[in-house]
Amino acid sequence: MASDVHSKGVTWDTSNGNLTPVEHLPNSRSESPTPGLVEGTEPGAGQERAMFVHTQSFEDLTADVELTGSRLSEIEEVEEEKEEEQQQGGGGGTGETGGGAEGVEEPKQEVHAVVREKEEDHVFVLSEAGKPIYTRYGSEEALSTTMGVMMALVSFVEANKNVILSIHADGLRVVFLRKSPLVLVCVSRTGQSDSELWRELHYVYYQILSLLTLPQLQRVFQQRQSYDLRRLLSGSERVTAGLLRLLETDAGLMLNATMSLPLCGTTRNIVCTSLQAASSKNLVFSILLAGDRLVALIRKKEQHLHHTDLHLLSNLAASSSSFRQGEGWTPVCLPKFNASGFFHAHISYFEPASDLCLILVSTDREDFFNLSDCKQRFLERLKKRNAYQTLKEALHSPTYPVSQVGIPELWHFIYKSKSSGLYTSPELPVPYHTEEEQERLMDLYQYLHSRLHHLTRPLRSIYRCTNTENLLAWSTSGFELYLCFSPLATKALAMSAVTKLLKWIRKEEDRLFILNSLTY
Amino acid sequence: MYLIKGMPIRLLQGRTNELQTHLNADDQSKNGFWNTGKTFGPREGEEEKKILFYHPCEVEKNEKIRNVGLCEAIVQFTRTFCPTKPAKSLHTQKNRQFFHEPEESFWMVMVVRNPMIEKPNKDGKPPTIEYQEDEILDSVYGAVLQQCYSMYKLFNGTFIRTFEAGGVELLIQKLEKFFYRYIQTLHLQSCDLLDVFGGLSFFPLDKMTYLKIQSFVNRVEESLSLVKYTAFLYNDQLIWSGLEQDDMRILYKYLTTSLFPRHTEPELAGRDSPLRPEVTGNLLHYGRFLTGPANLKDPETKFRFPKIFVNTEDSYEELHLIVYKAMSAAVCFMINASVELTREFCEQLDALVGPQLTLLASDICEQYNINKRISGPEKEPQFKFIYFNHMNLAEKSTIHMRKTASVSLTSVHPDLIKILGDINSDFARVDADEEIIVKAMTDYWVVGKKSDQRELYVILNQKNANLIEVNDEVKRLCAAVQ
Repeated sequence: MASDVHSKGVTWDTSNGNLTPVEHLPNSRSESPTPGLVEGTEPGAGQERAMFVHTQSFEDLTADVELTGSRLSEIEEVEEEKEEEQQQGGGGGTGETGGGAEGVEEPKQEVHAVVREKEEDHVFVLSEAGKPIYTRYGSEEALSTTMGVMMALVSFVEANKNVILSIHADGLRVVFLRKSPLVLVCVSRTGQSDSELWRELHYVYYQILSLLTLPQLQRVFQQRQSYDLRRLLSGSERVTAGLLRLLETDAGLMLNATMSLPLCGTTRNIVCTSLQAASSKNLVFSILLAGDRLVALIRKKEQHLHHTDLHLLSNLAASSSSFRQGEGWTPVCLPKFNASGFFHAHISYFEPASDLCLILVSTDREDFFNLSDCKQRFLERLKKRNAYQTLKEALHSPTYPVSQVGIPELWHFIYKSKSSGLYTSPELPVPYHTEEEQERLMDLYQYLHSRLHHLTRPLRSIYRCTNTENLLAWSTSGFELYLCFSPLATKALAMSAVTKLLKWIRKEEDRLFILNSLTY
Repeated sequence: MYLIKGMPIRLLQGRTNELQTHLNADDQSKNGFWNTGKTFGPREGEEEKKILFYHPCEVEKNEKIRNVGLCEAIVQFTRTFCPTKPAKSLHTQKNRQFFHEPEESFWMVMVVRNPMIEKPNKDGKPPTIEYQEDEILDSVYGAVLQQCYSMYKLFNGTFIRTFEAGGVELLIQKLEKFFYRYIQTLHLQSCDLLDVFGGLSFFPLDKMTYLKIQSFVNRVEESLSLVKYTAFLYNDQLIWSGLEQDDMRILYKYLTTSLFPRHTEPELAGRDSPLRPEVTGNLLHYGRFLTGPANLKDPETKFRFPKIFVNTEDSYEELHLIVYKAMSAAVCFMINASVELTREFCEQLDALVGPQLTLLASDICEQYNINKRISGPEKEPQFKFIYFNHMNLAEKSTIHMRKTASVSLTSVHPDLIKILGDINSDFARVDADEEIIVKAMTDYWVVGKKSDQRELYVILNQKNANLIEVNDEVKRLCAAVQ
């Protein structure tokens, strides 16, 4: 296999240096990170089967959610009674039942003042009757006329058996996403491409599905077209706001990948096996998160989690402070897994002040005490094997400085292993310490990403040289790499950096990636 | 395979008086369809009056009103978010609509159909049609629409002047007369980055010959004091122009894509071919009029020349356009339209310019051949490029083999040219100098460089080259272009 790898048309200078393979790696893993790397052998590739549903970059995002029969037969199909969905567990609050985020009614202000001034993307959700469901800024009431016009435009174009996609003006884009019975609209000034904005809208759509499921959403509007969906979504505003914020700052949502917490191999092994041992009959996924980093993921055999679903879950856990106080128990639909049914998630933080969060996803709505018990068993096992303390220490350094890689002029990078669906990225260095600069860098990455994955004219690689930074993006069948250099970097340096970086990642892959995908 | 088949254009206007244009093309016949509309006061039931021109005109009235209404709605809707920057395009699954407001409250709209792929279905069901929503470049067709207006303005002046002179009726009449013909000459399939630049191709010349030409122009302008502006072209490339840049660029477009090609066919025809024009004037020179009188000897000949409008922003001049050609050299003389041009004047011009221009043309030809011999036989280079200078509008392309009236033939895959367009749009978003190097899925390297008001785009055929080699190649080319 390795020889096969090397014979591929190598376009970038790569020296097959004396990279020592990590001891316990099977020989099939390529010793040298050459560009021709076959998927599954790139640095960071999972050892056995992947733990995630395999996703390329966007294409699968835009695919419609499946409604045909649940992949997991035990999933509880949606039932009529919505009230049952929010069962109370232990001493914990539930998700976001009409919490503090609700009803921050802004006074009726000049509509467009709200719309115009914001630099971030403005997102609207409306029903087919033109009724406001969600607006990122301002109040739905104040913007209801604008939303009415949006719906009028959508249906006018549809009357001609056509679909409205977007409107472009200088420095402004309005992008429409039609997901019957909803219409989602994004108004952006950031210069992002249409596909990037559609991705945002898809996420918002999935967020709504995760609260309602698709059949329930459809039924509500079948029964009454003018239904005010805000009644069912009330309390979720903070979750949606968190999600939109994440879309602007987290590369994982752009890449369809997840970042794992850097952790030494032995500790990760203990954590994974302890989590694996703490199983229960109806458990489908056990997910241990440190903030937005994945620490461990255990899944039922043959079941795969989709990145979108994981991001929705992690955002849900992060957006509500109530999970920090005790154990939470909430129904949740994982729209990419199955848009027609609810799972039940047990969400709890280990300590109120810590970022360690455990999410246990079960098919049984009566499973709360079982899962609570799972959590206890997991914790005890961790403590017994002295891993809990190590884990907590690892939280203090959830990231690493780019200087560890030892490449001059390299400011930042993102490396995604396609087969494992995980990515790694160092902390943001000095030029990107303000929020503004971080968003600018994220915009640059999004630009590179949308050019690489252009729907009709995809590219192998792109190098962009500006006054403020030099950027290089490269996509192969095995990985995607985005590099950001200082403006002083040369092309020769950038090319040698690629080789060096891939070697470094191979050396560190044990720590940076989760190489074993365990099942119960 | 696909072709861009459709193209509707409309023209509409804002609050009090509105004008709307609509251009479209029918699939089979490829007749474009336009409509231009203009109204006063959006009164109920009067919407149709907004429409000054709509192509194709056979579209049913209510449908015209609906289509134009959508454009107005989009423009208004976008204003609520950004009052200063109007909507430029609307993307839908089936088509793209481009909006342009060339004069206050006059709107032109062009609709370009997205390419389609037909996917056959089993069981005798009709094939599924898939629209390719990402094929069309906004920058290219936005520029084509602006060019439509510029061309109209060159021959008809501004909308508002016409309106003031003869009301809506005159404006509608002029729009119909001009666009009916012009739409058929728009070849939307072959539009690309060069339409975004709309540049001028300059003829490379040594100093001596250049001075000869300049002194020729000065002499003629001195002898024929009526001449206000002169432009000199050789081989469809510009050498000298007295016009403002923006006026010259649209006149150049007209000359090279419309007037010259119409006259080259007869020249290329054999001696005995009926296409070949009879040798007119005297045999002492090869000069002849491309506009105005076809034969000076013919007593029936009319001495009418096309009129053009230049400097419409300030002095608003209306001029006669005389184009006179000897062999490969062509000269444009522009004379104030208020002067009536007579047989005597044309004979004087023919006698004065004909012999000199013939001589000059053969001089240039000789010089050109010497230069070519010095530079050696041309090898097929490893790269193709497009160069454009924003300062003097100079453009140069080795990607386009020959620009003709109908199609501009290109020597590279259309997708690569679209990648050039993508890079150009990236450049347009920032003011600063930038460089972008990409590797396409076909392994071609494509390089874009923007520096100091100039843009250079290169397609390299060296598929196995690495980034550094590509960079070196482009550096060498840059040195050569400058």
